Amino acid sequence: MSGSRYPLPLPTLARRTVLAAAVGAVATACGTAAGQPAGKVALHGDNASWEEPLAAAGRSMDSVAGLELVPEVIPSLESFEQIVKSSLRTNKTPDMLKYSSGYRLRDLARTGGIEDLTRAWENAERRGWVDGSLREAFTHRERVYGLPMNMSYWVFFYNTEVFAEHGLSAPHTWDAFLDTCAGLKRAGIVPLHATTDGRWPAFIWFMEVLSRQDPEFYEGLMNGRESYTDPRAERALATIADFFDRDWFTALDMSHVDAAASVVHGTLGMMPGGTFMTPNFTSAGGEPGGDIGAFVLPMADPGARPAMIFESSALVCTVKGPDRDEALRAADAWLHPEVSAAFSGTLQDGSPNPRVDAANPLLEGVVDTVRRDRLWLLNRFWELGPPELVEATVDDLAGLLLNPSSYRSVLRTMQGRAEEAWQVWREAEQS
Amino acid sequence: MTDTLSTAPAPAPRGSRTRRRIPLRKPHRAPRRTGPPAAFGGPLTAIPWALPALALVGVLLVYPFMRSVYGSFFEDNGFTSRWTGLDNYARLADDPIFSRSVLNTLMWVAGTLLLPVLLGLLIAVATHRMRLGVVAQLVIMLPYAISGAATAVLWDFMLTSDGAVNQVLRAVGLDGLAHPWLLEWPHNTLSMIVASTWQGTGLNVVLFAIGLRAIPRETVEAAQLDGASGWRMFRWITLPQLRAVTVVVVGMAIVNSLKAFDMIWILTQGGPSRSSETLALTMYRETFRLFHVGYGSAIALVLTVIVVASAWMYLRRQMPSAARD
Repeated sequence: MSGSRYPLPLPTLARRTVLAAAVGAVATACGTAAGQPAGKVALHGDNASWEEPLAAAGRSMDSVAGLELVPEVIPSLESFEQIVKSSLRTNKTPDMLKYSSGYRLRDLARTGGIEDLTRAWENAERRGWVDGSLREAFTHRERVYGLPMNMSYWVFFYNTEVFAEHGLSAPHTWDAFLDTCAGLKRAGIVPLHATTDGRWPAFIWFMEVLSRQDPEFYEGLMNGRESYTDPRAERALATIADFFDRDWFTALDMSHVDAAASVVHGTLGMMPGGTFMTPNFTSAGGEPGGDIGAFVLPMADPGARPAMIFESSALVCTVKGPDRDEALRAADAWLHPEVSAAFSGTLQDGSPNPRVDAANPLLEGVVDTVRRDRLWLLNRFWELGPPELVEATVDDLAGLLLNPSSYRSVLRTMQGRAEEAWQVWREAEQS
Repeated sequence: MTDTLSTAPAPAPRGSRTRRRIPLRKPHRAPRRTGPPAAFGGPLTAIPWALPALALVGVLLVYPFMRSVYGSFFEDNGFTSRWTGLDNYARLADDPIFSRSVLNTLMWVAGTLLLPVLLGLLIAVATHRMRLGVVAQLVIMLPYAISGAATAVLWDFMLTSDGAVNQVLRAVGLDGLAHPWLLEWPHNTLSMIVASTWQGTGLNVVLFAIGLRAIPRETVEAAQLDGASGWRMFRWITLPQLRAVTVVVVGMAIVNSLKAFDMIWILTQGGPSRSSETLALTMYRETFRLFHVGYGSAIALVLTVIVVASAWMYLRRQMPSAARD
């Protein structure tokens, strides 16, 4: 017995006190966000792997602007969006959010629950801290509602040693790309990764092929100006169906993590993906910039404006967040080169700030290509179009990957959905 | 035995055991209160005690349910809503995804009744008098101790195209049976029912084992003296004696199959192309992913009606008649 022989009498608590404490505890637990101490701002996100990069950016911001970011992660896209949308109208909403750009950001801006960050954008652009061509992706009714956090380029990852072993190199033309696929197939290596695992990746091939065959049409289709039943959309799906016929794709339930490992081990030729997937290769033992290289898918139509897909998350400030003023100050400092460098360096992804050096040699090569070829940066499929349309068309495209010959009926279904969704979207825009 | 039929019991012979009469108090025999009413004890006395429970049920069950019913008459995107009457219900009839979802839900109900319940019963009977039978039952029970999410992750390793199941099939020369289990309907739904069976059978085994131990030894011995054994013993003695447990097991199976969610969400997210969604998933996707809150509410109501109706019909039919009186 190490304790006292005579136990101290426990303080007697009135039942009323206990009840008040319980009610207080329940009330606290019901809130989704509470204010941070002075000098700290909470930033809520949906990706656990962003926690450390955000903390690094926060430490850097502390030295630049005297504000520290406190990352809080809800590691589920579904839960995160629910919490954001349901809490925006209340004063329990988070101060800052990591959100999607494009139409998903517009959808959020239409609620009136997030801050206009036009002034922060213009200050950053004037100082050369942000690529001005990205502005459209963060704009709603000519006002900016989000600041770019990362800059992921959509590329094709490959194993440089495997390519060298089979006399292949990164293709610079569409025909060379097709030859590379055929060469890999002959060598007994599955040429391309395609997947419906996780649901959203079903759009990748449609996005990549369509944007290389006709980037103007991709841009028009994604913004509701073109039709899915257009022969150009049909041509893109016929191309994908042709790749299936040639048996160039992996099984459709291979995840990106497994695909990255397969590229590292030489059993898979190429994996289309955003540069945010680079850590998957590192985890599997690959060395980005060493045995793992990346190239931008060449244009299928050499006469078209050269383009590629990008993806950038938006830093958003809420109107009713408990530390609103500090959040706005943090937004002003977000694109500071030191903060951006700390963030992208830890994340190992591209930066929207042109003054920040690439985080690794693989990214450096991609950024060089983008600047040298003056590529038109097109936003990702997921961020373009009314969110409910995108959610539904992703399932349609998954159906297409499973039954490639059904592309005509799939396109008709998609067009029917698109007409309905765009009408709803435009009516909401006018209201 | 005749004395039990007589209206007036004969006086018991000296020395014989007499059955003790248990006085029954019927309402009309209840002691009447005389004098002024007491401060406590009136017909409304119980209300304050029941209030917390009533409030909880009201706030957490009745209000959300009524709110969902009301919401199902609106086209609601989470921010704006517009009265549309019964449009959401009319839309259900034309929605092929909803039809597939109903079909998948029925497959889950049928599969969960056929596999885990039947297997649970067979394993419990087979291991009942076996040496180390309890150990076997415990081993079968183990998967039930694993969470649904962990089970789904485990089965994901098994069921992918390059997963363990196909690798084993290919290793033993059964390449023709290898299949992309989670990619095509109905294989994806059936595979997930099998995965759910792997996890859920253990509990049924334990419940049936408890039921088997509760069968009076005299009943079994009497049946054995009458020459019953094997199938006849099982069919006419064991199975009827297990009726109460079976009611519970089957009832739980029906409800669990109708609310199947976690395993499907982790293995396929209802896909590909929404082919493996059940009503619970369709409701979730419509409400929280597509923000068709009104349509999601209509699906929730349909699911509620199915769950309540099936549970009510089943229990009404299966519960012993005395319990209903």
